[in-house]
Amino acid sequence: MSLELLLLCILAALLELDTTYAFQLTLSRGIIAGPIFSLLTGDYAAGVQIGLFTELLFADVNPLGAILPPSAVVCCAIAIALHALGIQLCYAFIVAVLGALFFVQAERHVRKQRVRLLTFWENRIQQNPDSISRVLFFELGACFLVNFIIISLFVGISGAFMLWLQPLIPQKAFYACQFSFMAVPWIGLASLIPEFRLKTR
Amino acid sequence: MKFTEQLKFFIRSFFLQAGWNYQKYQNLGLFFIMWPFVKKLYRNDQDAIPSVVIRYLSTFNTQPVIASFCFGALAKQEEYIAKAKNLTEFNEETLEWNSIKQGLSITTASIGDRLFWGTLKPLTLLLGLFIWLLLGVHVFELQTEEVVPLIYAFAGGGAAFLAFNTIAFFVKWEGLKISYETPASACFGLTKFDWNRTIYNAKKIGLTLTVGLILIGIYYYLRDFQQMLDVHFITRAVLVLFFVCISFLTHRLRIPNIYLYLVSVILFNIFCYL
Repeated sequence: MSLELLLLCILAALLELDTTYAFQLTLSRGIIAGPIFSLLTGDYAAGVQIGLFTELLFADVNPLGAILPPSAVVCCAIAIALHALGIQLCYAFIVAVLGALFFVQAERHVRKQRVRLLTFWENRIQQNPDSISRVLFFELGACFLVNFIIISLFVGISGAFMLWLQPLIPQKAFYACQFSFMAVPWIGLASLIPEFRLKTR
Repeated sequence: MKFTEQLKFFIRSFFLQAGWNYQKYQNLGLFFIMWPFVKKLYRNDQDAIPSVVIRYLSTFNTQPVIASFCFGALAKQEEYIAKAKNLTEFNEETLEWNSIKQGLSITTASIGDRLFWGTLKPLTLLLGLFIWLLLGVHVFELQTEEVVPLIYAFAGGGAAFLAFNTIAFFVKWEGLKISYETPASACFGLTKFDWNRTIYNAKKIGLTLTVGLILIGIYYYLRDFQQMLDVHFITRAVLVLFFVCISFLTHRLRIPNIYLYLVSVILFNIFCYL
């Protein structure tokens, strides 16, 4: 993995914290994360396109309550990283969407495991309430590390696999993937209409 | 509330979800936000701290932006608990504190989810899209060979970021002050804003912008085609209409867009080989 891809994975792991754990400044949205990642690869057009398509595709799932939506940051990071490796954008996006779905499952598993630590943290805080800052710092650090490992592993494995697979993909399948890629903004925009439906005044 | 105290609450509120867990949700985050205030309040009564810590470590869950209303109201109620003259008063104020925590967190979650995630987020997405279109960045069918200047690449997302966070920061900052100063009888200042009307108007704008964008998108998508009966024109028109219609259907069936996209990849591959 090159230095720029390693930096991209670190940045993605950091931005992923913004989704739930810290800040919620919406830096983890596709339209913001996409162009930020493209700063590392230099392909701003791909950054804008991937970011926007990701945001539109994920627009219908919101983090309400304990709902865990697919990660836009992970999707953008994987797509832009694979494109930087020389994978066509339409293929990279399919892999990235699958990666975002995989990340949700991994994240759900990690969250379930964190419940086991809760009693330990609570006891520690009750003994010394000032330790809350250290507890949260540790939690954020652990989340960052888990995010980084998952993202970099996925980028590494899927990148190598796609580089092997891409020359073998027939032209017809390429057109099919291009067509579905072109449909993404329309799927997203159409789903925004019911999202804005007026129920009450 | 003093400015420095409010600033402390404000900065710490960005870490409300840092210890998010499936059992008690934002309990660790709530304690982190309230701890400096509680510590100062009970500096002459160290024996009270363990019971206060247990109270704050109980279940708490709300929308992170509008949660500031809870912090202000809980801080005010904590002052009443600290000032309780006897055990009966203490128990009454503690009971009130618990009901504020429970009731206000549900109310703010309901308003916040509808306003920030359900309305403002998609609305700012449309704002970003419009800005990119105005700058001539062809977002509907971008050729990756096309050179997009750095400032253009960040214009749409930057505008969405600023628009969302200006409102979010305002609600966070003002929510702290208002909820601290307003009594429970006035819903801790929540009624100072007409949330329903704001959401309704924002949704109205959003709906208009979405329809406008679909029309602009269709224009951008099809303008290059000179002959209306060109086979590519028809394919594209059918594609657009198909996905607009199917999106309505899948939304009704509560199937996320992401699965519609993955199904379309499989379907197009099958069609290509037929």
